[in-house]
Amino acid sequence: MSKIVFDVKNLDLFYGSFQALKDISIDVEENKVTALIGPSGCGKSTFLRCLNRMNDLIDVCKITGNIQYHNEDMYASNYDVINLRTKVGMVFQKPNPFPMSIFDNVAYGPRCQGIKDKKVLDKIVKTSLEKAALLSEVEARMNDSAMGLSGGQQQRLCIARAIAMEPDVILMDEPTSALDPIATLKIEELMNELKKEYTIVIVTHSMQQAARISDRTAFFLMGELIEVDATDKIFTQPKNQKTEDYITGRFG
Amino acid sequence: MIQNRKHFIDELAELHDRVVAMGSETLESYKRLIIACEDKDEALAKHILEHDKVINGLEESINVDGYLLIAKQCPVASDLRQIISALKISNELERIADYASNVAKYLLAVKGDYSEFLQRIIDLSKLAIPMIKAVMKAYHDQDVDLALRVADMDEELDVLYKGYLQEFIKLAQERTDMQVEEALRVILILKQIERAGDHTVNIAEHVVYMINGKMVEL
Repeated sequence: MSKIVFDVKNLDLFYGSFQALKDISIDVEENKVTALIGPSGCGKSTFLRCLNRMNDLIDVCKITGNIQYHNEDMYASNYDVINLRTKVGMVFQKPNPFPMSIFDNVAYGPRCQGIKDKKVLDKIVKTSLEKAALLSEVEARMNDSAMGLSGGQQQRLCIARAIAMEPDVILMDEPTSALDPIATLKIEELMNELKKEYTIVIVTHSMQQAARISDRTAFFLMGELIEVDATDKIFTQPKNQKTEDYITGRFG
Repeated sequence: MIQNRKHFIDELAELHDRVVAMGSETLESYKRLIIACEDKDEALAKHILEHDKVINGLEESINVDGYLLIAKQCPVASDLRQIISALKISNELERIADYASNVAKYLLAVKGDYSEFLQRIIDLSKLAIPMIKAVMKAYHDQDVDLALRVADMDEELDVLYKGYLQEFIKLAQERTDMQVEEALRVILILKQIERAGDHTVNIAEHVVYMINGKMVEL
């Protein structure tokens, strides 16, 4: 059994009077890719955002239950959220590079943390781009605008930007839905590499993507966690009929 | 640069290697069969039976992984053909290995000196072995020509088998002693090796399908 990074117990989440998550309990294992699947509005992205407290930014959002991050209650009132978001990075659906150079994009986080030494920054940027499998493609134009990169490259740049913060977990919210199939496969292959060092939780609309890349799959439906198991199991013999119906395309 | 789908490609290669390994293990059973016949080595015959479990285990693992790859990776074109072929070939190999086991069981059961009959088993096995070898090489090297030649090799095996069958029918007509009873048993056993040849030809068909997508009847 792998180490548990997030231990979620009886999580309920309300947007005003609407309950978006109902009694969710799940473990997220270290150095594994956990995929969250389910039809639109099932709560998978909402759940993902709970893992770095991004829902805090929504006024009407109220959470009950418990999420432990490395055995610490990450919703405790005195918990250091800034540090949490450093450790739990996020990559979004649409690549969102900052309107600055490739180098500055990756150096942005470390600079915010007060790192000014050019040599140190150089090293961080290079290593991060290398890990995001982008270095060889951009090495010769580090000072060019990041906006000139292709969609797939921009998304890998965003991954490099997350890596530069030396995170522990990378959350990905449909990271390939704006990319073409080949760029998608590149990101997927990258995830296989990244999980050696990081824990990855990914929301995906593509069941096949979940099947291809994840170790564990969680199926959400109307705010409930219907089933979570090894991906091998979910895609060959799911226990719950609802999971079976969804992955075989019977509904959803 | 990232190699697209490296993980999947590695898994495909691993599946391929396991089919090759299963072929080698099956081949070993036939080689041992010859030695067991020549030396009347009961321990070796028992070993063949025992070893069959290893071969069955390989088939099972190839099936499980093949199904998983289909379920998870949505393979298409040559990737799909490669997985389907691995599933089918492992199934044929399992059957071919079963035939070797059946012959080994006979060797353990036979009483008295029937060296002459055992020689027939050796002769047929000696034709079956190069067939299995060739078809697995064709699989490994993706060699259509070699796969097609396996069908010709099977012709030789069939001719020899039919010759023995005639011989044994004659024997049954002419004699009434114990030899006839044993001869009947042996011919059933020889049929097993003849069937192993047919399954080897089936593998050749799967190899051709894997390489160029054509379904051939060899």
